[in-house]
Amino acid sequence: MQSTQNSKHGMRIGIDIGGTHSDGVLIDGTRLVAAAKARTRHDDLLASINLLLTHLLAGQNANWVQCINLSSTLTTNAIITGLVAPVGVLVSGGPGIAVENYRIGSQFHHIPGSLSHVGEETSPIDMDALDAALATCQADGINHFAVIGKFSPRNPEHELQMAEPARPTAQVLCCGHQLSGRLNLGRRINSTYFNAAVWDIARSFAAALKDSLHAFGLQHAEMNILKADGGTLPLARALEAPVQSILSGPAASVMGVLATMPLQEDVVLLDIGGTTTDIALFAGGQPLLEREGIAIAGRPTLVRALRVASIGIGGDSYIHVEADGVHCGPERLGPCMAAGGDAPALMDAFNVLGRAKFGDVALSEKGMATLAAQQGIDAKELAQSALSAAATAIETALRGLIDEVNSKPVYTIHEILEERRIEPRQLVLIGGPAEVFQPLLQEKTDMETLCPQLASVTNAIGAALCRSTSALVLHADTSRGWLYAPTLEVSKRIDRNFTLEDAVTEAKDLLKTDMAEAGIKLADADMQVTQADSFNMVERGYTMGKNIRVSVQVKPAVLGSTKPSSAVEVVHAK
Amino acid sequence: MLTAPTSLGIIFFPAYDWAISPTHPEREERLLYTQDQFREEGLFDIDGINEYRPLRAEDTDILRAHFCFPTIEAVCTESHRISAGGAIRAAQLVLKGETQRAFALVRPPGHHAMKVVHGNRGFCNINIEAVMVEWIRAHSGIRRIAIVDTDCHHGDGTQDVYWHDPDVLFISLHQDGRTLYPGSGFLHENGGPKAAGRTINIPLPPQTADTGYLKVVEEAVLPILEAFKPEMVINSAGQDNHYSDPITNMHFSAQGYARLNELLKPDIAVLEGGYSIKSALPYVNLGICLAMAGCDYSAVREPDYAPSRLRETPDTLAYIDELCGQVRDAYFHPEMPPAKKEGHFFVRERRVYYDTDNIIEKQREKLKDCNNCQGYRLIQTESSSILPCLGVELFHDSCPVCESEAHAAFTDKHGNSLVAQLMDHKNRDYRYRNQN
Repeated sequence: MQSTQNSKHGMRIGIDIGGTHSDGVLIDGTRLVAAAKARTRHDDLLASINLLLTHLLAGQNANWVQCINLSSTLTTNAIITGLVAPVGVLVSGGPGIAVENYRIGSQFHHIPGSLSHVGEETSPIDMDALDAALATCQADGINHFAVIGKFSPRNPEHELQMAEPARPTAQVLCCGHQLSGRLNLGRRINSTYFNAAVWDIARSFAAALKDSLHAFGLQHAEMNILKADGGTLPLARALEAPVQSILSGPAASVMGVLATMPLQEDVVLLDIGGTTTDIALFAGGQPLLEREGIAIAGRPTLVRALRVASIGIGGDSYIHVEADGVHCGPERLGPCMAAGGDAPALMDAFNVLGRAKFGDVALSEKGMATLAAQQGIDAKELAQSALSAAATAIETALRGLIDEVNSKPVYTIHEILEERRIEPRQLVLIGGPAEVFQPLLQEKTDMETLCPQLASVTNAIGAALCRSTSALVLHADTSRGWLYAPTLEVSKRIDRNFTLEDAVTEAKDLLKTDMAEAGIKLADADMQVTQADSFNMVERGYTMGKNIRVSVQVKPAVLGSTKPSSAVEVVHAK
Repeated sequence: MLTAPTSLGIIFFPAYDWAISPTHPEREERLLYTQDQFREEGLFDIDGINEYRPLRAEDTDILRAHFCFPTIEAVCTESHRISAGGAIRAAQLVLKGETQRAFALVRPPGHHAMKVVHGNRGFCNINIEAVMVEWIRAHSGIRRIAIVDTDCHHGDGTQDVYWHDPDVLFISLHQDGRTLYPGSGFLHENGGPKAAGRTINIPLPPQTADTGYLKVVEEAVLPILEAFKPEMVINSAGQDNHYSDPITNMHFSAQGYARLNELLKPDIAVLEGGYSIKSALPYVNLGICLAMAGCDYSAVREPDYAPSRLRETPDTLAYIDELCGQVRDAYFHPEMPPAKKEGHFFVRERRVYYDTDNIIEKQREKLKDCNNCQGYRLIQTESSSILPCLGVELFHDSCPVCESEAHAAFTDKHGNSLVAQLMDHKNRDYRYRNQN
């Protein structure tokens, strides 16, 4: 099991800054010690954190806190609202889809020059075009740069060549090959651009946060930032790759469920809220990851993330009647009528049928009766149709997700013949309206539905108990006699007899060493080989060498299981 | 980001654990660099282009298209079933309307596999297009299908499967058989006696490049397709006509191939040959995908692409010009040599060589010449490795007389065949009868 160097005292703090609420917990070993909730102040996230810390640390010795894990909306909101630094994007393309199709930001420059799919230069970087692009950026006052080359995970040379002349004027300079070893130019461009764009925001926030932690006596605690893949990144690392902190919210919830209830089987998790329902899948108790990476602001990235599908069904989904029948969602017009809204929503339907007693039931009945009368039907009939529409929408979405995961492409005959399909028989419901939905989804899905009594700070528990995750891609070519791991910028000579087993060992060692440098000790069992392929390279009938590809990851997992105790009261901080 | 005007499903199945032999051109990493290129391009991030996994062809799927002797298992491995299943998935996507077009980027290939299969010829065991076409016919009302085979080698297998079928138009563009395997595919090979003009061969001179290929498509292939009015167009998309291919002599490029698909607008494309796995396939496959999806492919070119070095000589172009006229005649005015007849049967006798497996097959085919229907056919076949076997094929529109004659031939216990196989398209009955 992964452990951290400073483990004299085992207290951990988890903080999850959400859209409306911010939650915090203090955990000793696996025992919940304190919990707090506060409204999120989007204009001052630090104030929300300070408020939570004040409550969590009341009567506690801050010296015993070993680490603080933070999931925040800082970078996500900056990207979504567009309040980010202007970035000069320099891209070398080459044959294929025209680079212009990936345009992002106001200063996007295509620099002629190309590498082939094996990383060999097929045309040199056009230095004149590069100078001209940099001059344009300079004239625009730009000092943040994202430098991306096609096939840079095979060979970083062109990125380094483009970065060189930008260095003197650059305050921030990010290269694509440092962020991910995986191929996908468009996603690499987006990831690198966002990384440069939120760089300053992450740094200044971290600086203020450090001061704040100092004031709380937490200066010795390790500070980790939560990622969308359900793992953490030490703060120093997170500042080198701030884009890794986007969209970590759903991961905190998923990991919270994992930390508070035993999950061994294939399970579907539904997190039902007011506006949306998030669907996540566990295979043998392990949360599934996105194949490529998460998208933000409509742009796909290479940022690893848990696979979470979101649909527009929640307690406040509004009920409307169309020519083809009764619909529910995906829009939310406001709160349900029981909570003072203007239009009947799903929760009102539950109220009318006596399946819930939420808010002012009389208001629900009135609203539903009015809508039903317009359609010439009975209010209960309308409510029943609305519930069944919602249940169908959820079921369709979750079946769709399961099918999608089970039909993921495979590339060998062996995998087709021997594949393990995911067949969840359990449905775990969490979120505000979870209990109300339980009987409905039990009928609809034919799965065993569980509605665990989770603390309202489960997401913060998840944040607290996440461990560090990482991934590494290694590529070796024995005919050219070299090996390359792009994200670590490691390249070294290998001999002709280098084997796939050698490559796997090398990849694990590199990942282990890298994590150790960040203060995290990895055991072999913490690492998972996700790809290990070796191909003979044959030219004119002769075997020239081997082309080896290895990917290793530290998979998301929780450090222990916490039983939320009723003795711990959630303090609502103001 | 890019959006595909025409939705495209890609069944990408590189079979990374299968090869004919370790250094054979048809080996594990054939599609490795194509996959790297696709990944780096973010092809599947394009809205409207999606990746799908192949199905597995079941026994019936194979027996609809082939006579496999002595058994299916003897000539067809899991890899062939999955490759054919990839083509079936492509057809399913289009038939169900999940995507408007589909590309089965699968291996091993199939277009040298003939109606009768004793083993591997030209790297092929099972004709994946034929399995797909028969699957389409069994699962929809579609009958009239055009297959345009642009592999550099003559698609002699597909030609053989549909030789007598007037509802399948088979057009093959290939390097002249006098200069390349399998040595067939001449203009005069023009379809069986009941399917005259439904087999069209376009033997191109070596060093034909983009101009020549596209000329043939525009001046011969498209007018013929327009006249035939197929319900579906399929491209057997072999890529060994590329200028960098190690085993052929043509000068076609990724740009040319993309343009060809833009012109042809196939509903389904199926990968066939193509062995320049580093220099051609990544670019040609990308070009085909973008063109089929209606996306801009103008920046797709090989790093060493130099069109001026690849141009045809004026003589070659003049030859191709003349060829286009002859090809149109082959469809619109087929001149058939008199077929050999015995009683009511057209008879063909021939030998087929299976180069990969070194098998020589001796075959005698009898096609009933019936005035009321397409008749039925009996194929007696034996090879250097097995005793005589019998294939009986009954067409979808067979009359009751032909039907009973065909069934009698199949059940005849006094025949000397080791194995008999029935391919009854009328009653959809596909099975073996083993004789002791």
